[in-house]
Amino acid sequence: MRVQAYMFYGCGIFFLITDIVYWSFSGEWTGTTAMALAVGLAFMIGIYIHFTVNRIEKLRGAELPEDDKLGDIADSAGDQGFFSPHSWWPLWVGLSAAALCLGMIFGTWLMLLGVALLILTSIGFVFEYYRGQYVA
Amino acid sequence: MAATACDAEEWKRVGFPEPSSEQAHRMLSLWQGTWIAAIAVGVVVWGLIIWAVLFHRKRKGQEGLPKQVRYNLPVEMLYTAVPFVIIGVLFFYTARDQSYVEDLKENPDVTVDVIGYQWSWQFDYIGDQFKKADGSPVSIVGTPTAPDAPGGTGNGEKPVLVLPVNKTVHFNLKSDNVIHSFWVPAFLYKKDVMPGFENQFQLKPTKTGTYEGRCAELCGVDHTRMLFQVKVVTQGEFDAYIAEQKGGGAQ
Amino acid sequence: MTAISEQPAAIAGGQRTSKGRLVVSWITSTDHKVIGYLYIITSFTFFLIGGVMALVMRAELFEPGQDIVSNEQFNQLFTMHGTIMLLMFATPLFSGFANVIMPLQIGSPDVAFPRMNMLAYWFYLFGSLIVVAAFLTPDGAASFGWFAYAPLSDSVRSPGIGGDMWVVGLTLSGLGTILGAVNFITTIIGMRAPGMTMFRMPIFVWNTLLTSILVLLAFPVLAAALLALYADRKFGAQVFNAENGGAILWQHLFWFFGHPEVYILALPFFGIVTEILPVFSRKPIFGYIGLVGATIAIAGLSITVWAHHMYVTGQVLLPFFSFMTFLIAVPTGVKYFNWIGTMWRGQLTFETPMLFSLGFLVTFLFGGLTGVILASPPLDFQLSDSYFVVAHFHYVVFGTVVFAMFAGFYFWWPKWTGKMLNERWGKIHFWTLFVGFHMTFLVQHWLGAEGMPRRYADYPSEFVGLNQLSTVGSFLLGASMLPFFYNVYITWRKGKKVEVDDPWGYGCSLEWATSCPPPRHNFNSIPKIRSERPAFDLHHAAEAAKAAELAGVDLAAIDAGSDVQKRRS
Repeated sequence: MRVQAYMFYGCGIFFLITDIVYWSFSGEWTGTTAMALAVGLAFMIGIYIHFTVNRIEKLRGAELPEDDKLGDIADSAGDQGFFSPHSWWPLWVGLSAAALCLGMIFGTWLMLLGVALLILTSIGFVFEYYRGQYVA
Repeated sequence: MAATACDAEEWKRVGFPEPSSEQAHRMLSLWQGTWIAAIAVGVVVWGLIIWAVLFHRKRKGQEGLPKQVRYNLPVEMLYTAVPFVIIGVLFFYTARDQSYVEDLKENPDVTVDVIGYQWSWQFDYIGDQFKKADGSPVSIVGTPTAPDAPGGTGNGEKPVLVLPVNKTVHFNLKSDNVIHSFWVPAFLYKKDVMPGFENQFQLKPTKTGTYEGRCAELCGVDHTRMLFQVKVVTQGEFDAYIAEQKGGGAQ
Repeated sequence: MTAISEQPAAIAGGQRTSKGRLVVSWITSTDHKVIGYLYIITSFTFFLIGGVMALVMRAELFEPGQDIVSNEQFNQLFTMHGTIMLLMFATPLFSGFANVIMPLQIGSPDVAFPRMNMLAYWFYLFGSLIVVAAFLTPDGAASFGWFAYAPLSDSVRSPGIGGDMWVVGLTLSGLGTILGAVNFITTIIGMRAPGMTMFRMPIFVWNTLLTSILVLLAFPVLAAALLALYADRKFGAQVFNAENGGAILWQHLFWFFGHPEVYILALPFFGIVTEILPVFSRKPIFGYIGLVGATIAIAGLSITVWAHHMYVTGQVLLPFFSFMTFLIAVPTGVKYFNWIGTMWRGQLTFETPMLFSLGFLVTFLFGGLTGVILASPPLDFQLSDSYFVVAHFHYVVFGTVVFAMFAGFYFWWPKWTGKMLNERWGKIHFWTLFVGFHMTFLVQHWLGAEGMPRRYADYPSEFVGLNQLSTVGSFLLGASMLPFFYNVYITWRKGKKVEVDDPWGYGCSLEWATSCPPPRHNFNSIPKIRSERPAFDLHHAAEAAKAAELAGVDLAAIDAGSDVQKRRS
């Protein structure tokens, strides 16, 4: 996982150097801005992964099994996490987004309806498997 | 139907029309040189692929596995380094020829305003020697045409830009509507005509003749019909043409 | 250590499921395999639709002067052909292959966000339907070219809701692509099986990771540009007003997306070919680390070259962009030598997946060379916006996406459906496609160099011969789909069931260590992962042992020693 963090840092540094070279030779705003944002994105993801892997490794006291060259499959035996077996909510959220988009073309009334549906279906989507785990 | 036949000269130019300006000759040489390099690389790589396909097949009844080679550092370094050399050379010639082609000289002999609109061209000759009696410039205004239409001033005929041979011509490209592109294949050159910007370029025609011109940036429904011609003539013929345009009354 | 082969219930089971139940199980699915199949089927359908549009255009271009379609309709056709092929076929096809294959190859039970996975599919489907539905409106679909240059794409020059539907639909489907990319990156970072370190991942997985990063970098810029265009069209915003340099602003924004987009199209399919070549050469990937490095270089460089599409605008820094573009040729060349090195001194056999992979190698090479030519501004001044560019990008995109797509189909069909596609019909499919493709596009290089612009519905008589040849080729290309459909049909009807995990015999990556098709969460058991080809190690342990014996290497000691080392640390 740490390798991936370094990869993102590498990309970020490359974009930074290229951006500086580009700006100094061209003074062109659009491309410079777009690439600067790319630098930001690369570092943001890299830093997040780096901090996460540090945190997880500290918690476990050891390397993650997938990064362990000698990792055995049994090392991550047990519960693999929750995987939704099937769900209707993606379809409803998708249809609401489509309604919103069609509203952007055909009329504000449909757009408002789409926004309302999107909010409702997003809530349904996010809370589909919520069973009160986070109640104090 | 049999218009696919290309003569030997065209093969040597790898499809490019005969270059008709000083700048075009340079670009043609670069084109030919680059193709030689490209074909050389292609022959090597296709050759290796075909070699492997022919000679490294599984033989009937062959048992076991071939040597499971995973890497070979010297070979890998070689095939990483050699492409750098190739593109270094290409970049050198590219940068050199680009500066030459895009160069703008101080005092061009003829200046033309090229105005692109939907869907034809207006050519204005700029300069005191091209002013008509009422002070307006000699101007050619075109209409959309069919691809095989002749050049001329009638409806459905392509607007013709007349230029003198062996003289530096400066083009100002203007549009107040959408993006067009001024392309004369015989000059091996095009430049976009962009609203909000005034693009410029110069060239020196070296051969008399009539050359097709086409709009090369999608500009709407009659993009296909936004055609023109460039007619390169001797200085004498050019002067006569301008005189005729000036005296010919309102355009 | 063989995996238990369980027939999964819904798709290939013996019991009769009602059609209704099947439809419901697919539209509520959270199984990355099913979602992947949905992407693949939908994108292939769009491929056929875009292909029919191409055939109509080529029919129009068979002879000058005719009017099978009007000029306006022709403009709609090439706009939609480009939009469909790039954004509704090739990009979602990447999502499809990545969805089905990547979790299997890293040994994970599914992707990180299964429901969002399905949500991304719906965004893609609905967004694309909105764009295409514009054909049903009175003024027709968008007709301003798939790059939608301003000011042509504003509400004055392109009135009508077709353009609005194009803008809005692409925003929605682009959002789907972004969500899919987020899913893939998270899965690859966080859900690999033990022992599956970064440098043991299959190259297809690496390419999926890098493509997804490119998606995150490029698609938001497109979305921003599209929303700004929408504001201009609907609310009279002046973002792309020509007087304020809007024409160039749009181009910078669009191509900052547009260039990484073509690498988003290319990289996953490079990955597919990289999976296939070792299997049919019976050798590991040559220069794995070099290949990973080259792919990272290509991905990084692709963000920096966008204005090579803008050389003739006269408004961009020519030397910078041409230099960076020339640079991309280097890692691409490196990959070629890695692929050739994989085949070199192997034991090649030429089943259909291998044929299509070789077709890709032969075709893409030419496209890459013409790309280097186009990278040079003095040459691009003649070639830009001509048929030379059309020929170039069809060679690279079709050569990569379509050839590798079919290679992937024939390769992974047994894994997906439990049946092998017919070899004889596969070969017929390959050869008709190969000949048809080259007949269509090779001569277009010549046409462009001679002076035929792109997006022209008509042309002067000097271009007739080559255009006719190209049209004939295009119909052969279209017809080459028929052996494929027939193959799919007869395989479905009477194909023989595959009983083993690895019908090809020399599969390398983990998907070949589970049943055909795999169970719902992919694996009943996973083999030990100690190299970049765990399934090969599993199935050919005996041969590896013999080779080690011959080389005097004591594998058992190494294994035992490494276990001891691990227990100690």
